Amino acid sequence: MDLFQSGLHNAAHTDANGHVKIGPFEVFLPRESFTPAAKPAGHHGYPGRLFIVEGIDGSGKSTQLSLLHKWLEAKGYGVVFSEWNSSPLVKDTTKLGKKKKMLTPATFSLIHATDFADRTEKSILPLLKAGAVVLCDRYVYTAFARDVARGMDRQWLRSLYEFAVKPTVAFYFRVPLETAIGRIAAARDCLKFYEAGMDLGLCDDPVESFRIFQGRILEEYERMIPEFNLTVVDATLPVEAQQAQVRQIAQRHLEDARELRVKP
Amino acid sequence: MRETYGKKLPGMKLSDLAGKLIVIEGTDGAGRTTQINLLKPWLEEMGHAVLDTGMTRSPLAGDGIRRAKEGNNLGRVTQSLFYATDFVDRLENEIAPALRAGFVVLTDRYIYSLMARAIVRGVDAAWIRSIYSVALKPDAVFYLRVGIEDLIPRVIFSRGFDYWESGMDLYPAHDMYEAFCNYQKALLGEFDRLSGEFAFEIVDASRDAKTVFAVLKARIRGVLERAPAEITLQEYIASRIDRLVYSPERKPATAVASASASSKGFELVPQPFGGSSPRLNGNGRTA
Repeated sequence: MDLFQSGLHNAAHTDANGHVKIGPFEVFLPRESFTPAAKPAGHHGYPGRLFIVEGIDGSGKSTQLSLLHKWLEAKGYGVVFSEWNSSPLVKDTTKLGKKKKMLTPATFSLIHATDFADRTEKSILPLLKAGAVVLCDRYVYTAFARDVARGMDRQWLRSLYEFAVKPTVAFYFRVPLETAIGRIAAARDCLKFYEAGMDLGLCDDPVESFRIFQGRILEEYERMIPEFNLTVVDATLPVEAQQAQVRQIAQRHLEDARELRVKP
Repeated sequence: MRETYGKKLPGMKLSDLAGKLIVIEGTDGAGRTTQINLLKPWLEEMGHAVLDTGMTRSPLAGDGIRRAKEGNNLGRVTQSLFYATDFVDRLENEIAPALRAGFVVLTDRYIYSLMARAIVRGVDAAWIRSIYSVALKPDAVFYLRVGIEDLIPRVIFSRGFDYWESGMDLYPAHDMYEAFCNYQKALLGEFDRLSGEFAFEIVDASRDAKTVFAVLKARIRGVLERAPAEITLQEYIASRIDRLVYSPERKPATAVASASASSKGFELVPQPFGGSSPRLNGNGRTA
């Protein structure tokens, strides 16, 4: 860890092939200007690791992520968790829009993208550069699925989120609609207006509206599995079995990482 | 029929946006606000219902942006998207309904300022253009152009240098004067690049407000007389029916219309087609 304490820039040198290295390790040095276009394609190329979970409400993804979090911490990694819709700069605006039902599909999409941008600029990106393991509960795929279900243009959304860092692994917890609805019904008193897609005027009954809306979202997730190479986990399996699978996959991506920060 | 810059928002009907969308663009201190304050009463005197709108005035995101700008931690991608949220909220809930009701919409800045600001901060130009591809194409864009040498005295002797207008987030090592010059010069360069692409009508804003006002009046008269874009017979009928039948979708526009009209003491009569009925030719299109 001496390398990081001495400062990345001072320790870096360029080898004969033009790769920037610190000691024997090749690194991706922060470019002077981060722009959406400057985002490296494919693997994100930063020293850290980014694991994200996706799935419809009631798929059990948050449970799985928190179990992964505890395991990583126990192993001594520096882990940071970032939740959907949690930017301190933006969340008041989102809350206002939802409370007063002011959001249209377009502004719903943009305010969530703003929130995600703030978390990307302030935490996700710098932490990955610093070599942390970053965990995200929901990522751009949530926006793609929900916003398309609300009628937004697929291509427009793909370019809107161009600035996002590509995850190391995107776990998709696949669950049949009825199972998810059963879990939600057992856990909650009532469904929220936007959560149930009530803004779309699909149906006056929140439960029925939720069912139709989540069905559309599920279709979008299915379409994204090949498009973004999502790692599918069968979310009908016992929690322990799913977690074992998640840890095994995560483990593989941690072994080849030689520059991760460990918790002091 | 009105067009967008490429993508249509869900639920946005383009066929009946019959009013006029007039954009006043220009850098900080170019005199945009002064001109809008002169143009609005002039247009109203001529009998037009006018909606004026501008950046950060949306009920959804305006306060959020102001709060975010108070701190020193608003990143450039976040900033660009926050402004896009504000813009689209006004586009859907103010601009489009007002155009539907036959208003003249005067907007203080439009997507061009937002693109220029983002681009000079290093945001990808293609990315920001793709976001604003949902914007409506205006009937005219008047770019109040003023060189940096004329801009500086206006700023110094009116309100003084402002952190964001000086681009201090971009040039933190400079003093406010140096930062202001660099930032505004970069913006002017970007506006010049956008000017061809988006067909700006350039107005020399280094002259006094009265002269600029006279130029704008003459050009805006031309815009108002201009026949609306070609529409089909079906679109024409649809737009008229919409005006006769109560539709909850139009609620915001009606509210804006009656408020503005009653305060001025005259009745609002939407005249979406320059006041004259369209002549229809054989194939059902307006001549």
